[in-house]
Amino acid sequence: MAKQPVRVLVTGAAGQIGYALVPMIARGVMLGPDQPVILHMLDIPPAAEALNGVKMELIDAAFPLLKGVVATTDVVEACTGVGVAVMVGGFPRKEGMERKDVMTKNVSIYKSQASALEKHAAANCKVLVVANPANTNALILKEFAPSIPEKNISCLTRLDHNRALGQISERLKVQVCDVKNAIIWGNHSSSQYPDVNHATVNTPSGEKPVRELVKDDAWLNGEFISTVQQRGAAIIKARKLSSALSAASAACDHIRDWVLGTPEGTWVSMGVYSDGSYNVPAGLIYSFPVTCRNGEWTIVQGLPIDEFSRKKMDATAEELSEEKALAYSCLS
Amino acid sequence: MDYTELLEKAIVVSSSVALFCNVIKHIWSSTKMEKEPVKVLVTGAAGQIGYALIPMIARGVMLGPDQPVIIHMLDIEQAAEALHGVEMELIDGAFPLLRGVVATTDVAEACSDVNIAIMLGGIPRTEGMERKAVMSRNVSIYKAQALALEQHAAADCKVLVVANPANTNALILKEFAPSIPEKNITCLTRLDHNRALGQIAEKLQEHVSDVKNVIIWGNHSSTQYPDVNHATVTTSSGEISVRDLIADDKWLNTEFITTVQQRGAAIIKARKHSSALSAASAVCDHIHDWVLGTPEGTWVSMGVCSYGSYGITPGLIYSFPVTCQNGKWSIVQGLKIDEFSRAKMDATANELLEEKSLAYSFLG
Repeated sequence: MAKQPVRVLVTGAAGQIGYALVPMIARGVMLGPDQPVILHMLDIPPAAEALNGVKMELIDAAFPLLKGVVATTDVVEACTGVGVAVMVGGFPRKEGMERKDVMTKNVSIYKSQASALEKHAAANCKVLVVANPANTNALILKEFAPSIPEKNISCLTRLDHNRALGQISERLKVQVCDVKNAIIWGNHSSSQYPDVNHATVNTPSGEKPVRELVKDDAWLNGEFISTVQQRGAAIIKARKLSSALSAASAACDHIRDWVLGTPEGTWVSMGVYSDGSYNVPAGLIYSFPVTCRNGEWTIVQGLPIDEFSRKKMDATAEELSEEKALAYSCLS
Repeated sequence: MDYTELLEKAIVVSSSVALFCNVIKHIWSSTKMEKEPVKVLVTGAAGQIGYALIPMIARGVMLGPDQPVIIHMLDIEQAAEALHGVEMELIDGAFPLLRGVVATTDVAEACSDVNIAIMLGGIPRTEGMERKAVMSRNVSIYKAQALALEQHAAADCKVLVVANPANTNALILKEFAPSIPEKNITCLTRLDHNRALGQIAEKLQEHVSDVKNVIIWGNHSSTQYPDVNHATVTTSSGEISVRDLIADDKWLNTEFITTVQQRGAAIIKARKHSSALSAASAVCDHIHDWVLGTPEGTWVSMGVCSYGSYGITPGLIYSFPVTCQNGKWSIVQGLKIDEFSRAKMDATANELLEEKSLAYSFLG
């Protein structure tokens, strides 16, 4: 028996990340090779023709798992019955724009998307916010969709997590699949804290701590952190466009692990609703180390936090509290 | 007991033990041993199709979810920084199957030991450009790439030419890489094939995975002939011919054909860019089916070297219906060709002969 199709919404689907993401979803990268999907793609009216072009290409690709495509500028139609919602759409920061202006625009977008999702999405819809400022957009969404369970609203820091793993694997010249348990704490911004204190590498003689193998605390506490924090800018500099390929891939990883579970002994990073764990203020969407099982994430508890880490975790929490205040001021 | 009985018992016991050991070895090897990585080259990798294709390769869409890959990316000097950006994103993707990345502007390094070569790089036709001008530049590109592949690629490298004019670029490549087996040089018409399936599925409101066995004959250009005379739809009452189900020969012989032929232009009109997503996906399908085999009862379309099947001039790279097994394609023989189809198949063959003459006129 084939499984019932899952409806997956991608907002901002006519953009770069959407274009990279939708074929991944249609191939089963997000939900598994045996899970049929129906894609819902939403964008704004100026992008309607481009969006239709993407729909045409999805039809042209004859994907076996793709059981339907809805391409629309109507947010209600887009949200109807969706089990997974990937919010790529938002207002990007343009040159000369004040932070407040970006925030104002995004706050109103996420307020209205929240209402639509709450009313029309499937029960237990899982939401992943990608558009920046991701954590705060997710927070606004949560505030204005009170009947969506808090734990179903997340933001993407898996890209940063994967970037951290990639940097370690490059440094140690090992396969990236042998590196695990990095942590991204906090905001998906340049204040994020990539923490390798609990990360390990799978070697022929067993799992070894990354710190021990790298043997260069100065690099791990300095350049490594800033490389991961600023990787987005580095990609833009090289490509003249932002990192659509790796962001789309990370979005698939985030949802797949959430829905299908993390492997034994491995955790991943997700921006989730803080319950006060690790003395992070409750009520923020903050990136934590999590394991996933049966469609639910759980924060990995009890990890020792040294002073260096404490400071960084607090700094990014503070930035999130400021963003929250700014967002709320834009609402009133 | 007597001696023969003892011998029999000994044989049975030792055979069982041997079998048991083989079973254990097999289980051990399939769980513990990973396949050797396959090296896949993508030329023109910094472009749009490359950007869509490369994550698909890294995720196992092209060669299967248990086949590790090393991706070689080639582009021209002007695109070196952008290419490096793609390399960075591949590292940032933390792909479990990706065992290495080579990003280079050096064609020898790019071609070194590759098992699969996807040729996306070429001179695109821009507004106002004469066909002759496009052809002359692509001929010299494909001559140079042929030499590099012949010298540096792994033996039995499988080549797929995508850049247009795909069939003729593949022909040039074949002529200048004589030690690469002719059968290993192909061009992409799987995109057109998939588009044809998609149009049928939309018309019938069926799932595209239930439609099969269309054929794209000829040139990957507007003279291609999308043929549904042998196509079927899998329904609850078995496989029904597409012609019977659609019951609209006029549509099938006109609008359907022109829609598929001109789909590329329709995508450009809507997106303001050409069809990277679906082209990349078709590239993966083409290689996947070539390497891993076509499903039972199903054929696909590939641009391959003609040996005269269906009256097509030998030596052209022409799209035929093929099945694949053990890494080899075979043209589906014996399909009935009606008059309508014959005329279309010949027209596209004639265009290919003209392109071949034009290409050769630049080789002097």
